[in-house]
Amino acid sequence: MTDGNTKASVKFDAVQKSFGSVKVLEEFNLEVQPGEFLVLLGASGSGKTTALRILSGLEAPTAGRVHIGDRDVTEVLPKYRDISMVFQSYALYPHKTVAENIGFPLKVKKLPKAEMDAAILDAAKQVQLEALLDRYPRELSGGQRQRVALARAIIRRPSVFLMDEPLSNLDAKLRGHMRAELKHMQGTLGITTIYVTHDQIEAMTLAHRVAVLEKGVLQQLASPSEIYNNPANLFVAQFIGSPAMNVIHGSLEGASFQTNGAKVKTKVKGQIAKAVAGVRPEDCSVTDPKKGTISGQIYTTELIGDHTLVTVNWGDDQIVVKAHKDFDGKQGDAVGVVLPPENLYIFDETSGERIR
Amino acid sequence: MSVAHTKFDLQRRSLLEKMFEPPAVGKMAPVAKVVVYSFLAIWSLFVLFPIYWVIITSFKDAAAVNQGPSYIPFVDFQPTLDAWRINFTADPYCDMAAIARQLYLLAHNSFAFVLSPVVSIPPMEPQICKIYLAFTNSVVISIVSTIFCVAVGSMAAYALARIQYRPKFGNIMIFVLLIVGVILATTYAGVPWWMSSAVALALFFFLARALGRHFKMSLGNGDILFWIISQRILPPIVVVVPLYVMFQAVRLLDTHLALILLYAVANLPIVVWLMHDFFANLPIELEESAQLDGATRFGIFWEIVMPLTRPGLAATTLLILVLNWNEYLFAVFLSTVKVQTMPIMVAAKNTGEKGVLWWEMCAVTVVMIIPVIIMAVLLTRFISKGVLLGAVKG
Repeated sequence: MTDGNTKASVKFDAVQKSFGSVKVLEEFNLEVQPGEFLVLLGASGSGKTTALRILSGLEAPTAGRVHIGDRDVTEVLPKYRDISMVFQSYALYPHKTVAENIGFPLKVKKLPKAEMDAAILDAAKQVQLEALLDRYPRELSGGQRQRVALARAIIRRPSVFLMDEPLSNLDAKLRGHMRAELKHMQGTLGITTIYVTHDQIEAMTLAHRVAVLEKGVLQQLASPSEIYNNPANLFVAQFIGSPAMNVIHGSLEGASFQTNGAKVKTKVKGQIAKAVAGVRPEDCSVTDPKKGTISGQIYTTELIGDHTLVTVNWGDDQIVVKAHKDFDGKQGDAVGVVLPPENLYIFDETSGERIR
Repeated sequence: MSVAHTKFDLQRRSLLEKMFEPPAVGKMAPVAKVVVYSFLAIWSLFVLFPIYWVIITSFKDAAAVNQGPSYIPFVDFQPTLDAWRINFTADPYCDMAAIARQLYLLAHNSFAFVLSPVVSIPPMEPQICKIYLAFTNSVVISIVSTIFCVAVGSMAAYALARIQYRPKFGNIMIFVLLIVGVILATTYAGVPWWMSSAVALALFFFLARALGRHFKMSLGNGDILFWIISQRILPPIVVVVPLYVMFQAVRLLDTHLALILLYAVANLPIVVWLMHDFFANLPIELEESAQLDGATRFGIFWEIVMPLTRPGLAATTLLILVLNWNEYLFAVFLSTVKVQTMPIMVAAKNTGEKGVLWWEMCAVTVVMIIPVIIMAVLLTRFISKGVLLGAVKG
């Protein structure tokens, strides 16, 4: 058994993976710091789970090396990698009690019974399961099963934690609660954690750094605020944020973005025939038809609670604006929308790259 | 409300409609109920009556049987224990000790065979009381061969469900050619079999390594699975004579070992085929999780996979047990005196000179049926649903 809290770094070195002719990961490079909480974020099919499985050893890379700490583990069997994983489906052993499930990693190591029982109780306490140790997984709720899976992962004090969408089977309220607990637990234990999700909220709230993946290619690796405020390309810009960033197609000429017969002032300069302007709904504001950067008609309004989402038709485009909760515009009303130049992100439409 | 709808109103339907339509979702229409249950009742009669007839016939004497069919004891005929007495107590050796003697004989003769290359132990001769011997033989052969068959078959099925095999077609051809070479060398050139086999094996590994990567075509797990099941396609009667010759050559005729091995091999494809399906349907995350937690492949198999496929395992075991218990063809060819099984006892009541001794045959049959019923009851306890509940998701 390894001693507690051996924080390990993780390194993917030009890892590639193909299944037959399908390329799932292309030249994947990633370095995770010891003790870091890193989230791999991407849509389904982006290769994020494959990257995690390659790190766990359940899948072998087609090319490239994987390192944990100073060790090259590319050819090392999963059980010798000193990692533990929480699966999306929890993967609890249905014929074992909660205690037996949690203690399984120690049982296969043939730890003495007394030592094992103490460790099980300790791990169970960390996830508030000590009252349910004699139950079977089928007698537990979804959230409790999730905790059992977590306890089984932490009992060994591995050098790396892997989590494959661990919260996606929980209902929304429980998910929020478990999210906070996960973050607290990782902060307490300080174990390097790699967390796979498609949920941008989980990524933003949990991560020290987020790695955004799409089609097997790493799009951006940065802190959540950097990812949100400074997206590297159009994909990241559109993927992060709820409601999503408004996207307007047009052309960049000098310091103005031209579309729908209008000119919008920008901070960046350049000449791009096919460009995309992006602006987050909370950066726009609704105003008088004459005062706005652009003007259009209200398509619909949605009261969310603390704010109202206003969708405005502007030529062929639609712009969603996050407005005050007391906004009382009606469908069809003419309004103006302010697009502040400093909050306008400009992208090259063909490459998707951000113009800075 | 429009008139057209009233037809579908439960209260307004005509009697005929009520007869042919189910009263609710998940229930049967009255007419369908009558048809189905009468069919089931008649079918039950067909199934249960022969058992009843076997039981009452075992309490008849020769006269009662020869008078023609009679069904109700004490009314149609006077029950007697004659048939049971002849089978189980008439013989001077027939007592419980006979079973112990036969078990000892089995162990003794198996050891004698295994040790035969080293030291010569004369095999024991069987006792006279046939029915006890046959019963002991049947029980031992069925159980040992079933355990062996299910254990080996499950492991093979698990491997086929979880490991990807890609045997090169060319390598298989080399192997087959080398086997042909071994046979030719042994039979025509007089080379000792162990020498030719050793040379062939060495040659195979050399050739497979040297040429293996030039072969493109390979087989997959599906092909292997089909190859295994294809061994059951041949009717057993076709292989019985070659098997006789084979067992004669290795001096295993009329031994328990021969029947145990043969039954195990003959039923292996069924076990592999059935268990493969159960294993393939297990959520793989459980095994992956155990793998990450440090369990070995065998550890995962015994700790995780086997308990979770318990219902399938029980059903398969029961099936193989019953197949072995009832097996007649191989037993009648490969046994003469020492390892006669119960089916042979039953068939032996069809004597040449005295015709079929129905009453004695029925007594033996009843004894044969009882263990099967007990096994079925015991094993169906394991065939419970919901073993996987709570494994994945909620």
